[in-house]
Amino acid sequence: MHTLSRHIHPGWLIIAPLLVLVVALYLGPILNILWLSVTDPEPGFGNYAKLGESDALIRIVWTTVRICIITTVFSVTLGYSIAYAMVHCHQRQKNYMLTLLLVSFWISILVRTFSWLMLLGRKGLVNGTLENIGLIAEPIAFMRNELGVLIGMVHYMIPYAVLPLLVSMQSLDTRVMDASRNLGASGTQTFWRIYLPLTLPGLVASTLLVFILSLGFYVTPAVLGGGKVLMVAEYISVQLLVTLKWGTAAMLAAIMLAGVLAMLWVMSRFMKLSTVFGGAAR
Amino acid sequence: MHDKQFKKEMLTEGAHAYKAGRMDRRTFLALCGASGVAMNAVLAGDAQAAADHVVMWNWGGQSEECHGSAIGEAFTAKTGKGLKFDTSGPLEGKIKEMVDSGNVTADVADADLFNAVSLGPTGHLESIDYSVVSKEKTLPGYALEYGVSVILYGYAFVYDTEAYGDNPPQNWADFFDVEKYPGMRSLYKWANGSLEAALMADGVAGDALYPLDMDRALAKIKSIKDNSLYWGSGSEAHSMVVNGEVSLGMVWQNRGRNIENDTDGRYKLVNNQAMAMPGAYIVPAGNPAGAAAMEFIATAQEVPAQLALLDCLGMTPSNPEAFGQIPEDQQDYAITSAKNIDKIVYNDPDWWGKNGGDAVNAFLEAIS
Repeated sequence: MHTLSRHIHPGWLIIAPLLVLVVALYLGPILNILWLSVTDPEPGFGNYAKLGESDALIRIVWTTVRICIITTVFSVTLGYSIAYAMVHCHQRQKNYMLTLLLVSFWISILVRTFSWLMLLGRKGLVNGTLENIGLIAEPIAFMRNELGVLIGMVHYMIPYAVLPLLVSMQSLDTRVMDASRNLGASGTQTFWRIYLPLTLPGLVASTLLVFILSLGFYVTPAVLGGGKVLMVAEYISVQLLVTLKWGTAAMLAAIMLAGVLAMLWVMSRFMKLSTVFGGAAR
Repeated sequence: MHDKQFKKEMLTEGAHAYKAGRMDRRTFLALCGASGVAMNAVLAGDAQAAADHVVMWNWGGQSEECHGSAIGEAFTAKTGKGLKFDTSGPLEGKIKEMVDSGNVTADVADADLFNAVSLGPTGHLESIDYSVVSKEKTLPGYALEYGVSVILYGYAFVYDTEAYGDNPPQNWADFFDVEKYPGMRSLYKWANGSLEAALMADGVAGDALYPLDMDRALAKIKSIKDNSLYWGSGSEAHSMVVNGEVSLGMVWQNRGRNIENDTDGRYKLVNNQAMAMPGAYIVPAGNPAGAAAMEFIATAQEVPAQLALLDCLGMTPSNPEAFGQIPEDQQDYAITSAKNIDKIVYNDPDWWGKNGGDAVNAFLEAIS
């Protein structure tokens, strides 16, 4: 017993049940997906070979990646300025802003998606108003195309971008900025050389969070894309439910998973991921 | 959708546990409350345990009420068994998953006849018992080994009378003609009906559609891509028209009447060249209620049920005996009415059952 506890920290015993649960309920199904991708409809790498054979699959993956990158850039940029404003305004305003942010965070994605149709649709509020005051003759096509998908996704993702940034900005030691000003740096210099680098972990965390969540978007592209913006999640769902090509679906899921893991690995080359996820930088 | 399915399964399990005494009443009610589900939905789980009910797997919305009044009441009167619903929508993948998992909780699925062709031979469906169900009470060719058509729906289109009132579009060729009829149109996203419409627009005769010439159909679809939107559900098709997003909209014909009403007659339904789709009842293999499912299907074939489904859901009768009894105010909308039956074309479930998966993917790739 003593020799055992010398090698294995007793803390492991306490978390062992949780570990077993995670492995059984989480890794199990994932392995099943990976297995399905090389066994359905027949054993081998036929599903993966399809990626090379069909332009369509590549195009769907590329559409997904492109939309996710654009969404991430806009959400994180907007999120950064919102978080910055929240940290630097009075407590009272900050509470209002936080309430508004959380309310939109909690509203169902369907409601938020359809409200964009009401606002920016062909006969929506904005087009209607612009037409009535004579600014435009034909409605502007905001919705039912890629632009519509981007608007909907950025809007949905902003709270996810703000929250990690807010945490990171709040934990900064403001005396560092004071010191920088004291030593003669301008406000802009202080921001670019002190503030931004210090909030980098928060920035990376929110970028990762937004990008990874965007990869799985299903409802927004399906509704706001007018059927023409096909992203991986919707394609996987069609393969599962309609065309019964479960192997193709599993292959795409495996590719997505590998892509996300690869991204985390690349990130980990440049920085300590533990700081991003709230751990201490050592 | 998946959340709903999860809650339903959780509550069904809860109901089983409660009945068996493994869970106390308070916990069970808390579970119901936590998932925000009303008691009658919970009783559906109870019903599955008792098996003195048939569970119909449909698409929710109005169909729950309509299937209950049109078929359920007569079925209960005849057999003494009740009718419960699973409204999560029996997509092909879900039926396969349910049967493969060995936990079959539905008896009759409100599906398409082509599902019977693709899922039957792989052992996912029960054969239809034609000593109980009648082959005569549906259209010829629509009584198959693993499924029988109980209603017809159709792919037709509506047009904006304000835009094209003087020279209304009359057929699919007009629908695809963006020169003569400028404006946006909407088509079905999952290929069905859209491919046939494209071929008819390209000059293929309605009775010579199958096997579908995919290349030709997709070329035609692509030719109007910039002027098209695509819908994935009946309500989406409906709202695209009602919100004025499209001037020409392919719709499920049973929605036609509501669209005309909701737009105060601005949009008008055209049933010429409408594609009749055999909506079929199929039985997942190993269904809990056993042979009672066949009696349920037989009840749905009877003329009163057929007419009640038309009245309540706008679904057209497939039993030829009912065709002559379609009421006057439904003549324009029902595709097998005396007024329409000579103008429609028929879907081939056999082709779709065997080629549907590839066709859907090719279509999605063409429009995205």
